[in-house]
Amino acid sequence: MEITFDKHSLIIDGKRVFIKSGAFHYFRTPGYEMALDRFAKMKSGGYNTVDIYFNWNYHSKNPGEYDFNGIKDVRKVLQAASEVGLYVIARPGPFINGEVNAGGLPFWLLKMEDVIPRNRIGTEYHYSEKYMQYIEEWYDNIIPIIKEFDNVILFQIENEYATDTMEEDYMRQLYKMAREKGITCPIFHNDAYFAGLWADVVDIYALDLYPYINPNQNWKQDNFCFDTLDNVEEIFRGAKENSPGFIAEMQSGWFDKWDGSGYRHIREALGDEHINIMTKTALSQGVTLFNHYMAVGGTSWDNLACDEVYTSYEFTAPIDEFGIPQSNFFKAKAINYFLDSFDFTNTDAIPFEFNQENIYTKLRHDNINDCDWLFVRNMNSETVELDLQKTIKLKPYDMKICPVNLKLKGCEIEFSDVEIFARLYDKNEEVIFMIADKEANIYLKDQGIISGDKKDYDNLTFEKNGKKTQFVFLTKRLADRSWLLKDKLIFNADYVLPNGAAALERNTEIAYYDLKHKFAKKYCVVNEFNDYAKPEIIKDFLIDFCSPEIDTHYNYKNWKKIGEKTDSLSCGLYDEFIWYKAKIPNNLEEITLSARHLFAVYINGKEILNRNSYKIEKLQEIPETISIPLDKNILSRDVNELTILVQNLGFDKGFSGDTNSPRGLVTFETNPKIPVEFYVCEKLAIERGDTRESENPYLTKITVNFDIDFKDDVFFAKYLSLENFWYRRATIFLNGVKIGRYIKRTHVQDKFYLINEFLKPHNTLEIIIWEKDRNIKSPWGFKSDMKNVIIQIGTQKMYQLFK
Amino acid sequence: MVVVPEFLIRRVYKKGSLKKIENGASLDLKNVLGPGFISGFNYVKINEIVFEPKDVKFITAGQELAGDSVSEANPVAFRLNQEGTLVMQGKDCVVEGKNKIVIEVMNPEAGKVQLTVEDIA
Repeated sequence: MEITFDKHSLIIDGKRVFIKSGAFHYFRTPGYEMALDRFAKMKSGGYNTVDIYFNWNYHSKNPGEYDFNGIKDVRKVLQAASEVGLYVIARPGPFINGEVNAGGLPFWLLKMEDVIPRNRIGTEYHYSEKYMQYIEEWYDNIIPIIKEFDNVILFQIENEYATDTMEEDYMRQLYKMAREKGITCPIFHNDAYFAGLWADVVDIYALDLYPYINPNQNWKQDNFCFDTLDNVEEIFRGAKENSPGFIAEMQSGWFDKWDGSGYRHIREALGDEHINIMTKTALSQGVTLFNHYMAVGGTSWDNLACDEVYTSYEFTAPIDEFGIPQSNFFKAKAINYFLDSFDFTNTDAIPFEFNQENIYTKLRHDNINDCDWLFVRNMNSETVELDLQKTIKLKPYDMKICPVNLKLKGCEIEFSDVEIFARLYDKNEEVIFMIADKEANIYLKDQGIISGDKKDYDNLTFEKNGKKTQFVFLTKRLADRSWLLKDKLIFNADYVLPNGAAALERNTEIAYYDLKHKFAKKYCVVNEFNDYAKPEIIKDFLIDFCSPEIDTHYNYKNWKKIGEKTDSLSCGLYDEFIWYKAKIPNNLEEITLSARHLFAVYINGKEILNRNSYKIEKLQEIPETISIPLDKNILSRDVNELTILVQNLGFDKGFSGDTNSPRGLVTFETNPKIPVEFYVCEKLAIERGDTRESENPYLTKITVNFDIDFKDDVFFAKYLSLENFWYRRATIFLNGVKIGRYIKRTHVQDKFYLINEFLKPHNTLEIIIWEKDRNIKSPWGFKSDMKNVIIQIGTQKMYQLFK
Repeated sequence: MVVVPEFLIRRVYKKGSLKKIENGASLDLKNVLGPGFISGFNYVKINEIVFEPKDVKFITAGQELAGDSVSEANPVAFRLNQEGTLVMQGKDCVVEGKNKIVIEVMNPEAGKVQLTVEDIA
């Protein structure tokens, strides 16, 4: 494929293409089947491109080792995109951020001598030859795979990178490396500061735009958050004259954090309006490449998350974590279909003066369709009546694209504030599907006014010189359930797949329309789904104590002996859980330690401290050091067994902090000061295959078995609910794979996606509870109380597919 | 750590705007970075003289705000291309020739943002 570009758009094999992309994390949506499902939904929603970060950390657990097998097989992900017919924007970092652990840099790299991650300390530039050598190794492994796929149209180097002095050698070297290793498509970088950064280093200048990054902010009230977007064309032109407008990350949602406000809040706050305004404003600024970040939500299973985020990376994306299209997906779909209806790849802004408070307008001339498009946005909290070309009424926080002097086959639209949804056409005939709106009108040249006050399928036909234009009206409700597949529209389906299969939740009459056969209908009877809206309370489960490491006389001689430095990077242990064992004498008065993030200290099998030291203020990690007084009651033996368990919630993602900030047991001192010889081991006992029941009750395992009835024609998404769970912390394993972490105090997540890729016909769910001593009356009583715990397994959605 | 590179932050300062006033100084800012909020004035330092928030006034969009009235609970909007004047009072601080200016403010998203420039009064 030959990919070139000019100031208007990307040009693929000589043809201008509008890039409608959405971001997808294959590592958070694992496996070929899940990738295929999400890509199919994206394609049906009108996206033509998927943006893919390649996560170095995910593939390289040890120096020189690269794993692209099984669910880590990125060829299969790229193949799925190719099968569905999506172009790919490849973003292999090396640094990717994405709220992943260490920003995607391998853990082993962080501790390497002479390696300065990203050639940057703070914001100061420090070039590291060794770092560049390791990047070369990563590129040598990932680029040959990317090169196998000719649907890759763009390649990004680094991610949101800047330094104080902006030396160019690092970025230039990345560019050169990519070219030398065979990347032939245009190379870009995403400037997070919209300051024209690296424009001279790359082929196409691109930037990221997130006007809403503070969930406490009311973007509707503080509508100046769109100031940058409203002027982005000027930024593009200033940065690189002959490069098309490209928003490499355009906000379609936002991530939530530990102690955050929850995804429900963010979804409600953004509504459908935000993605509508973002995307249409970008179009008004001449953008012809956009990438909704994210298009598909995901799950930070295993050790994927950076310290900031919890398991769900739902991101309030148009397709949520469970793979279910949400209302912002329907809004994105409508815009994508509109862009499929009229080629929007070559437009120029033309002067248009209109000044009214909280109203944004922009007029563009369309050089391909020889018409104008008027963009109007209302940021007032009430409906406004605007005297523009015609008088139009615009609802609060709404934005419309109005055609002006649009010549159609059978008539000409002088002006319309009835919005275009989709268009089917051939040489002599076109059907334009419009979204009914009782406050809006279509003004036709010489043929009067058509009111937008219409019912579903109401239609009007106009003919001129043997050519025909038909307007068919759809209410917004039906438009949301209408799907454009090449030369056909399918109505009344929950979603459709590119192969024409319609997904339905309940018995429905679906309709089809194409120019040749016109309307056809089909009644689909959904097999009796069980009442899945109600989750099942699990009554039958096993309870075991599962922390033999804490028991006295536990044999840890085969663990790794470490030196003075106890943090996880120094120990070379990067897992979420790290155990430390040592022997200490009885004459100690105090121990002082600092650990990240959650930790507990046990002496002779008894807890003496259990603490959550995770604290971030103003984007800064707040370190905490704690002293624990000891006495003869605690140090009851001549030689005492010390056990420390630390849960690392993840390394810093590296955007505002350092990826190599210490984790695990960061410092440890005794008073009086003595050397302590620590032995270390990572992972929980069950992860290491140690299933012995322990004497102590601090970590307790609940084991649940359940079955799944797989059917080829049914899509489902299942979840585990800990809504009524009263324990403090839990780690969840599905068939041996860690799929979630629960911390009650944060109130952010009590529903966990049972990731389809890991489900089998017969399943085992293990929930490891880590409880505080004060909440355990006695081991026997604790186990007995636990029998009353409420665990629920439910089905988020279920659709039957009809071909 | 500051999220935004120094060279970008420095663009906010309007070069040549430092003025000596009676018992203090004034200078101008223009937000060329992007729309946002200031959620606190930590301090302004001109040469070796430090002005606490209570000694700083921020005049912008027709409003005159006392530095210590701006907080996380009461942030001030600072739009793209919006201009503002900082007025520091209580101490003489401007010298002839080169003056070193440090302004530290808080931003809800970026945390601590420090601007360091030199200007001639």
